[in-house]
Amino acid sequence: MVSSLATSPPLMAAQPEIPLLEGRPSDAELTDRLLTPLWTTARGWWLLFGVTALGTLWLMVTVTYTVITGIGVWGNNIPVAWAYAIINFVWWIGIGHAGTFISAFLLLLNQRWRASVNRIAEAMTLFALINAALFPLLHLGRPWFFYWLLPYPTRMSVWPQFKSALPWDVAAVATYFTVSLLFWYLGLVPDLATARDQAPTVRRRRVYGVFALGWRGSARQWYHYRTAYLLLAGLATPLVISVHSVVSLDFSISQLPGWHSTIFPPYFVVGAIYSGFAMVLLLLLPVRRVFRLEDIITRRHLDNMAKLLLATGLMLVYSYIVELFIAWYSGDMYERYTYLVARPFGPYSLIFWAMIAANVLTPQLFWFRRLRTSASVLFGASLVILAGMWTERFIIIVTSLNRDFLPSSWHFYSPTWVDWSILLGTVSLFGLLFLLFIRFLPFVALHEMKQLRYGLVQGESSRGVAAV
Amino acid sequence: MTHWRSLEELAGSAEFREALAHEFPPGADEPASGMSRRSFVQLLGASIALSGLGGCLERPRERILPYVSNPPELTPGLAQYYATSMVLGGYATGLLVESHAGRPTKVEGNPDHPASLGAAGVFEQASVLQLYDPHRARRPRRASKELSWPEFTSAVSPAKLRRYVGDRGAGLHFLLEPTSSPFVGDLLVRLRALYPAVGIHFYGPLTSPMLTAAGTMAFGRALQPVYDFRSADVVLALDADFLASMPFHLRYAHDFAERRRITGPSDPMNRLYAAEPVFSPTGSLADHRLRTTGTSISEVAWLVLAELVQNHGLSPEGMPAGMRSLLGTVETDDGRLRWSRAVAADLAAHRGRSVVIAGERQPVEVQVIAHLLNSALGNWGKTVRYIDSPFAAPGNDGGGLGPLMDASAAGQVTTLAVLEGNPCYNAPADLDFSSRFSKLYLTLYLGLYENETAAEAKMFIPALHYLESWGDARAYDGTASLVQPLISPLYGGRTPADVLLAFLGEPDAQVHQQLRQFWQQRVASADFEHFWDTALQRGVLPDTSAPSVTPTLKWNGLDQLLTRSPAGRPPANEPAVELVFLPDPKVYDGTFAGSPWLQELPHPITKLTWDNAAMLSPGTAARIGVGSGDMLLLEADRRTLRVPALIVPGHADDSIALNLGYGRWADGEPVARGVGFNAYRLLPSMRYILPAVSATQALHSGIPRRHDLAVTQTHWAMEGRPLVLQAALEDYRHHPDFTRGDKGRTLSLYEPHKYTGNQWAMVIDQSLCTGCGGCVVACQAENNIPVVGKEGVLNSREMHWLRIDRYFSGPADDPEVVAQPMLCQHCEKAPCEYVCPVSATKHSPDGLNEMVYNRCVGTRFCSNNCPYKVRRFNWFDYNAEVSETEAMAKNPDVTVRARGVMEKCSFCVQRIRASEIEAQIAGHPVRDGQFTTACAQACPTKAIIFGSFADPDSAVAHAAAEPRAYAVLHELGTEPRVRYLARITNPNQALEDQHGV
Repeated sequence: MVSSLATSPPLMAAQPEIPLLEGRPSDAELTDRLLTPLWTTARGWWLLFGVTALGTLWLMVTVTYTVITGIGVWGNNIPVAWAYAIINFVWWIGIGHAGTFISAFLLLLNQRWRASVNRIAEAMTLFALINAALFPLLHLGRPWFFYWLLPYPTRMSVWPQFKSALPWDVAAVATYFTVSLLFWYLGLVPDLATARDQAPTVRRRRVYGVFALGWRGSARQWYHYRTAYLLLAGLATPLVISVHSVVSLDFSISQLPGWHSTIFPPYFVVGAIYSGFAMVLLLLLPVRRVFRLEDIITRRHLDNMAKLLLATGLMLVYSYIVELFIAWYSGDMYERYTYLVARPFGPYSLIFWAMIAANVLTPQLFWFRRLRTSASVLFGASLVILAGMWTERFIIIVTSLNRDFLPSSWHFYSPTWVDWSILLGTVSLFGLLFLLFIRFLPFVALHEMKQLRYGLVQGESSRGVAAV
Repeated sequence: MTHWRSLEELAGSAEFREALAHEFPPGADEPASGMSRRSFVQLLGASIALSGLGGCLERPRERILPYVSNPPELTPGLAQYYATSMVLGGYATGLLVESHAGRPTKVEGNPDHPASLGAAGVFEQASVLQLYDPHRARRPRRASKELSWPEFTSAVSPAKLRRYVGDRGAGLHFLLEPTSSPFVGDLLVRLRALYPAVGIHFYGPLTSPMLTAAGTMAFGRALQPVYDFRSADVVLALDADFLASMPFHLRYAHDFAERRRITGPSDPMNRLYAAEPVFSPTGSLADHRLRTTGTSISEVAWLVLAELVQNHGLSPEGMPAGMRSLLGTVETDDGRLRWSRAVAADLAAHRGRSVVIAGERQPVEVQVIAHLLNSALGNWGKTVRYIDSPFAAPGNDGGGLGPLMDASAAGQVTTLAVLEGNPCYNAPADLDFSSRFSKLYLTLYLGLYENETAAEAKMFIPALHYLESWGDARAYDGTASLVQPLISPLYGGRTPADVLLAFLGEPDAQVHQQLRQFWQQRVASADFEHFWDTALQRGVLPDTSAPSVTPTLKWNGLDQLLTRSPAGRPPANEPAVELVFLPDPKVYDGTFAGSPWLQELPHPITKLTWDNAAMLSPGTAARIGVGSGDMLLLEADRRTLRVPALIVPGHADDSIALNLGYGRWADGEPVARGVGFNAYRLLPSMRYILPAVSATQALHSGIPRRHDLAVTQTHWAMEGRPLVLQAALEDYRHHPDFTRGDKGRTLSLYEPHKYTGNQWAMVIDQSLCTGCGGCVVACQAENNIPVVGKEGVLNSREMHWLRIDRYFSGPADDPEVVAQPMLCQHCEKAPCEYVCPVSATKHSPDGLNEMVYNRCVGTRFCSNNCPYKVRRFNWFDYNAEVSETEAMAKNPDVTVRARGVMEKCSFCVQRIRASEIEAQIAGHPVRDGQFTTACAQACPTKAIIFGSFADPDSAVAHAAAEPRAYAVLHELGTEPRVRYLARITNPNQALEDQHGV
């Protein structure tokens, strides 16, 4: 099975126009091109670094302020006891789905086009998860007791309450983060060794050497590596499904109209992959442009990812329709009110319709191949979809809470400057981590590219065709 | 029943903005400063680690001492209860005050006192916080110089004072709040004996001069009526909020509820008609409410009287035949006429078993017609008795502010002593009291605070709180009771009696001694010691209720009153609207404006906190062109007031109502300062209704046109949901099981919870709830509930464990209002419990949904999953800034909650456990009625019943077994332990179709 990876025929043969790799660069050429960004720093990088570092600093300030003063500095209230923190949590977790989906899911499905994009996607996953993990911690009234949610053996024999979704949530996110980190790092090892071998200074050679864990590229090492990678992929794939399913249970185990819904697990997973792909595109497109990687990340990649956006987008639309239909069909007056009155016509109707426009209409662009392969259209669409998915979580969380069963407790929610600061601060932190990543680590999986090229060349020569 | 759409949702309007001005009361807002819990724990750890080093240091030796001999009545850890009385508006309400180790913590009603019968209103209950108010005045002064008590007493001693005021005391004047204290009355008599020319005046802005004026007009004597609602089948309230704001309202509410309460479909029920301009708690309970302006109430009263005389042959006693013709037919507004006819017919059918009661703010003619109506209906001696006013009236000054101001204008006032009250703030605007007061030669003010009057007075003496002082007072029905101190004075201070004794030249006399002597002379008891001790223990002086007087109507002069046929009035087509001044249900006349509890108590109808506003009907608002929160400019007699509008459904058209007591400006009361708008700027003398004022949008440039109104309930409709179920009595008789779909066991997959022992439960009778808020304050005091300030309320973060939801239903212009106390429902299948990740909220074997503060990490998942939204979260450290004295008001039996934890109603678990211990020691099971929750205890109508379902004979079990019992949101399967009794009304068939119920 391991060897079949390299030798299987290309699955995308039905659409031969756009190749997965333009030209057939040699191993040395690939190494040179893809490692250059590690040895040089552009002025633009410093600029972006400065901006995101400032944003991150501001995040730290506002987080400290929140922890010292109490989460009353946010806009949350009763009835809207969960708001930005949980919206941001779900949003970031969702974004964190694309990486593992691309690396693990597509690996198991033999999608070779993943080779040039998986590293960026995986890194993005980790950074998104770091941001996501911040929120469940921060949103606690007493964050210093966060460990009470963990099942550790206490002297008093007090355990978490396992009927609640929250301990499971903690476990699911922690597992996902651990596996994603291992998976990402394992994939990096051969490339870290290449970087070690190519590094211009002794210090860098030593640093990369330490992290390369003594990789020599022997056949035995490759054999173990492949086995471990595949096993981790097998482990990570169900997690892609489980994490957001568990996150969705935070809502669906409650009895709140708008939350209490059995469609939530698949609906959340689909939405997560949808937003994750949008984020991958948002990061990939500038990288591709700046580092002139159009031959490596080809229009074929863009086309494939746009198709995934379209597919997941359509599934999301289906979920929206099912939600509305079931709300009506159930005959439950509270459900009906939430779905059919409060959301489309209530105080947050503007946000609801913005969500519909962003998440339902935007992917319809990708019925057209020209738009699927246009970098600028994809970039714009990704931004809109990311914003749309954020508003989706806003709608799910805030509009369900702010008008529930007793009209007497209905109350408006609006965020404070601290809410906005923390949201934008995490975006900065995410950008900062990503900038450090592309500056210090090989952001395209070098050895996988070489392997892809080898596979393509072999296929060509065996079938005697000119191009794939 | 049709439920109508939302009237005004702040949530929906684009203008809604979050107020970011910091308006926290002390303790509500500040970031945790000093030592946080966390750093405390760190320090604790460090100090344990370093404790071994402690031996190296020489510590200063301090000694602590135990009680050498325990005070005999004191068991450490157990509360004592002392009887005392609180005076408001001159009348006493008997109280029992809970005291822990010598500090009073909670005020409860005295079951033996006729004005309380065990209930306590919001003012009485919140008064304990005023005792500990750190802003109370502490320093007596002359101008800004310190003034010692001996200096003061010698300055006002007769020897010195005679040099200025002569032997007769010309130019010497006293201004007191109306007082019913026999002791103070006696001191005033002695003062008049010493200074024959002294002027003694009484002024309380809410003590209506109409009552005595009407008595004088109708009977030639200042008689006041005392009603007996226990014998009344039909009640007509003419702009009279006798259930929540009139003197004696706790008693009236109790008696009214006795005839309102039904225990089954076959029980009889009284019927209440109310005609009023402003939705009041009484109006909300009415079976038929006529929405009509305050000035037209006299027309309604007149129409009912005319109807009785002309069509039912019922005339007041001794009515001259000639006068009957004055009550001829009239052309009037059709609805009003129909309503009055139906009411008259119903009253006529219940002769001797009805009550007609006129509100104090109504003019003399309405009061007199009410007397005539009760006479015509044969209610005298049955449901209405007359007594002499219990107010002290030494001499014949004729008393109010008017004569005082006349004397001052004539230069006849040189020395004025103001003993309590706050006339520089609350005197009628047309008297210009403040500027005259500041120009007088010598002015003295005795007050709790350095308030507006203190700022103008030349000499200032801090007053004592009633919980620190000795005294006596009479209830509205004349019953005398004693005021005994619960604590020695916190800040020093004097009572009015102290000051009067100083003027009498007896500076060394002790009020306690004098009071005892006073009563000793008046009580023909062989064993005075025993009498006195019993009086202090029971809180009531036996057999002091005022004797009934048989009144005789003086018909001379009444013909003019009856002639003023309403038909002759010009139609109110002008843009002018009437302005009605109301006592505030939260701060009274401004006396309690410094109380954070009361400022944050939602208004019974509008749910407004931390403000007052011009209440007006949707139609009037549309005509003026304002919405809720828009600034309105009111102008009357060339005086203006800018005040935000607040639209209230059910308000009479062409009428604007303002609550008095806001817009305080004195620095000495920082909590009250700048809250709300000062309605006294427009208040006229001797009237509470201005028939025509101009009301326009405030359009001055540079002044904000909007004002954020912090209301706790922004949505007013039930949205067709089965929340407050109601039915007419007839329908209930025919379909007693109309709530069957909203109760009973629901299906469940889980094993049922294992219950043992008592099963605590509560039943709330919505037929009896007036929405007065007594339970809310009781809960706040009992359970150490913090206040969050105006910004907190705007953010919907109020902490009340018990709130009163208020819904409007029926037609938009003339709706019904229903109140629903909402608290933790202690669900048997509690949605909050299974979502808590750390088991911080659990179920007890006796049926309580328990909150474990220590374990709570603050995920707030429980609140999200609570369909009743009764859980409250500590967004900040609300107790960080509580002053040392305010901390003394905390109930030591209840945990003060930390920042970041959830809290909610515990069914007063501290009381449950205390009585279990008590019962165990006594060796019997906890008896039904042995104790009750704070809310149930305070409720004047006893609408809240608490007890154990395990005892089938308990009151709560009986109530829950009533056919009309149901559970709110029953279909969710939460199986709440709080059950509601559907609201039953008793409408008059003759008016049914008109009201459109």
